[in-house]
Amino acid sequence: MEEMVMGNGLVFEYHVHNDRGEVEDTFRALDGVEVEIKKGEFVAILGRNGSGKSTLAKHVNALLVPKAGTLWVKGMDTKEHDNVWKVRQSAGMVFQNPDNQIIATIVEEDVAFGPENLGVEAGKIRKRVDGALAVVGMTEYARHSPNKLSGGQKQRVAIAGVLAMKPECIVLDEPTAMLDPSGRIEVIETVKQLNKEEGITIILITHFMEEAVQADRVIVMDQGKIEMQGSPKEVFSDVSRLKEIGLDVPQVTEVAYMLKNDGISIDETILTVEEMVDAICRLKSKN
Amino acid sequence: MIRDITIGQYYPSDSIIHKLDPRTKIIATFIYICALFINKYFIGYFATFLFIASIIHISKVPLHFILKGLKAIVVIIILTISINIFFTPGETILVEIWKIRITLEGVILAGLMGIRLILLIIGSSLLTLTTSPISLTDGIEALLKPLEKVNVPAHEIAMMMTIALRFIPILLEETDKIMKAQTARGAEFEEGSIVKRAKSLIPLLVPLFISSFRRAEDLALAMEARCYKGGEGRTKMHQLNYILRDYMTFLISIAYVSMLIIIRLFWGR
Repeated sequence: MEEMVMGNGLVFEYHVHNDRGEVEDTFRALDGVEVEIKKGEFVAILGRNGSGKSTLAKHVNALLVPKAGTLWVKGMDTKEHDNVWKVRQSAGMVFQNPDNQIIATIVEEDVAFGPENLGVEAGKIRKRVDGALAVVGMTEYARHSPNKLSGGQKQRVAIAGVLAMKPECIVLDEPTAMLDPSGRIEVIETVKQLNKEEGITIILITHFMEEAVQADRVIVMDQGKIEMQGSPKEVFSDVSRLKEIGLDVPQVTEVAYMLKNDGISIDETILTVEEMVDAICRLKSKN
Repeated sequence: MIRDITIGQYYPSDSIIHKLDPRTKIIATFIYICALFINKYFIGYFATFLFIASIIHISKVPLHFILKGLKAIVVIIILTISINIFFTPGETILVEIWKIRITLEGVILAGLMGIRLILLIIGSSLLTLTTSPISLTDGIEALLKPLEKVNVPAHEIAMMMTIALRFIPILLEETDKIMKAQTARGAEFEEGSIVKRAKSLIPLLVPLFISSFRRAEDLALAMEARCYKGGEGRTKMHQLNYILRDYMTFLISIAYVSMLIIIRLFWGR
């Protein structure tokens, strides 16, 4: 498989300015990150606030460029100025606040915004917009005002806006942080469907463990470094390590962990309620 | 309650006036306004009245929507009329009390000015009633496009209008939220003298400003992430095209303004 995103020794620093605009302090948001994401993969990036996960996401979209190290998106170096627009077209980005990323006053106009910027001709934009709205299931709202939509619907419109640019990779920076539980499910289902059916590489930044569980691979970041990575089962089985970093594990995994600590022989890598039910039933039939 | 405020006053319908190209409507409105200022006789205004009345009829906009627009400027109309009545010098004096003189010329001029103002408002509100804010923006952008050669930022103006239209309702909602939060902590917005009330707006405006700057930053980032790099090389999903009905409208507008010019030149003799 080909690499979609490849990062080599990425370093990024934020400057903290004082009142006079002088640099008072620097904060290292990325500290030598090595990352590799394959085409068609669904990767979740976990981490506390300030762990550098959003900074990494903005690098993939070339909104930020590394101070040291190199990041390639589809083999294009994001530091090269000529690549910027191509990188942004191939790696779309969805942000946290659904209201602050919708530009137009009508849903379909907003979805058309990306392709319009790319200079796609009028007839083709129409097709792309209709296609993108159909994929996220928002066709019936095409002529609506975004203000009247729910949070989950707005995020789906934002995803459609990115889709209309025909990207190969979508980076979602905590897309569900401001949504209610039903909106969260709506968005995650859409994202999974894009990954499975359209073959789009997904990089999902989140702090909801239940969402991370659904990814192919989980990357855990802390203090600008990648601390753990692997399949959800591998990562979440190390409960004590995750707690050290200051992250939670899915509720059922924690229950399994506590049961194990109490001397009950149960698989530690349980991630979903269904698996838990199975494991407990097996335990019961054994006794 | 604050959520119900609609921006602009667009009245959706499927009339031919609604379907006209926004550029056509903007130009026609401009011609109409010029014509109002060309004319200075009652007969001309009577013709204009018939003209605009028939357009209103074709546009299917209910009359009370148009009258609502007039309500907002009642004060201005009254002011204009009274200034003209009392301060126009003239020969035929109708009433004279102390130093104030009301002349026949003044009354006529006041009447003309009043009618002119009313027709002006009706005409321009008809434009916003029959054109959605989005197509209005598109129209303005397309009309300003030739001026880009002399450094008029046509695309930027249109983009600003679009973003304003998108964010005004959001900011109104936010104002409402902040107001409630401040009220819950004992702030009073509707009591006290004007000075006190103005002062009480500070704790409302400061958070509102901060949050709108934050929104602006987020939006700029989102626009950049979607390859926005200004108007150059940008295409549009909705292309504007003049068709037969637009040419007809231009013809009618020109005929109308020529009629008023003819009245102006020959009526008084």
